[in-house]
Amino acid sequence: MNVTHIDDLAGIELADGFVWRPVRRHFGIKAFGVNVYTPGASGQIVEEHTERQLGHEEIYLVLRGRVKFTIDGNEHELGQGQLVFVRDPSLKRAGVALTDDAAVLAIGGKPGEAFEVSAWETWFAAAPLVEAKRWDEVIAVYNDALAEKPDHPALLYNLACMEAQAGKKDEAIAHLQRAIELRPEFAESAANDEDFASIKDDPRFPR
Amino acid sequence: MSEGYEILTLDEVETAEHRGSNLIPVRYLLGFRPAGVNAWIADAGGQLIPPHEEDSGNEELYAVVRGRASFVVGDETRDAPAGTLIFVEAGHHRTATAEEDGTIVFVVGATIGEAFSGGGWDTFAVAYTLQRAGDMDGCRRIMVEEMERRPESWELPYNMACLEALAGNADEAFAMLDRLAPAPPELREYLENDSDLDNIRDDPRFQELLK
Repeated sequence: MNVTHIDDLAGIELADGFVWRPVRRHFGIKAFGVNVYTPGASGQIVEEHTERQLGHEEIYLVLRGRVKFTIDGNEHELGQGQLVFVRDPSLKRAGVALTDDAAVLAIGGKPGEAFEVSAWETWFAAAPLVEAKRWDEVIAVYNDALAEKPDHPALLYNLACMEAQAGKKDEAIAHLQRAIELRPEFAESAANDEDFASIKDDPRFPR
Repeated sequence: MSEGYEILTLDEVETAEHRGSNLIPVRYLLGFRPAGVNAWIADAGGQLIPPHEEDSGNEELYAVVRGRASFVVGDETRDAPAGTLIFVEAGHHRTATAEEDGTIVFVVGATIGEAFSGGGWDTFAVAYTLQRAGDMDGCRRIMVEEMERRPESWELPYNMACLEALAGNADEAFAMLDRLAPAPPELREYLENDSDLDNIRDDPRFQELLK
């Protein structure tokens, strides 16, 4: 049987202090987005964010402990078996654990569209390697994701960021050019992105 | 609270009956659209997840939220305390029983590569529960809303006909069955075998449908 327990799932602590436990990746789920979050050192359990860019509806279900959610500026304390459904992608949402054992199951996706793995999963998975500047391993994580979705604009853009920091100028420029071809608004993002500092003076840098 | 979000306490929701289990109709209540989301609740010894298989491409994740369950997938049985996650791909027979009172299992499901189109069986379970409780107005309201949302579905008017027949409302049942023209190829088999329609089987209008 394909079974695990939330305490046995590998966790990656992200910079905001929450721990991402990648359920979808663990099981290889392809039909929907699902993850577990637990608190890190800061007590944060759901990072403050909106879903404006992805247009996702989200459900956060408290599996254990107590969590204080702040949704659209309103605070709600939820316990085991309580959930918040954030229908409006533009609402700011965040969660702080009120007990050390808190665990939240998060489910999300875009209405009317088949599920597609979001680029942030790869971003999260590579985060500890980025922190350690282990660039070859970071790039390998992105290449694994791109093997499944070769023309994913955000993955290509992020890969270019990593390659620029790794000093792989040619690869960074090629991937950035391709990302901008697929999503032209990335040109403006790239112009203001510190990650590209090492390649901005290159005449091939897209403008 | 703004209209952009909603809070739900699973064990405060009125359950619906579905194939011998108690459904907490999360998707129906929230209108969540990206995937099927529901929960089930049972006391020790009670059936949590109705025995079933999913169609091709359907993936399901079960999360034990509270209590303790015993899961059977294929021929394997596993103890599943709160916090257990079980992933089941299409084609595997699965069921679960509660081992403690008040056990709750939350389920997420969808089909690979397809936009989720909104269940329907869970809405029917809510309508069926209202019909059994004698609340025919509530039952009709839910089914009419769903038929307006999915006018292409022949299953919805068919199921509404079953609910009317079960309630002894022959005229209303035939009005629903009349909506099924042209009849889908599966209809004849359903009409011949569905015990939900037994109350109207001897009506001449039923014989007319079978012609």
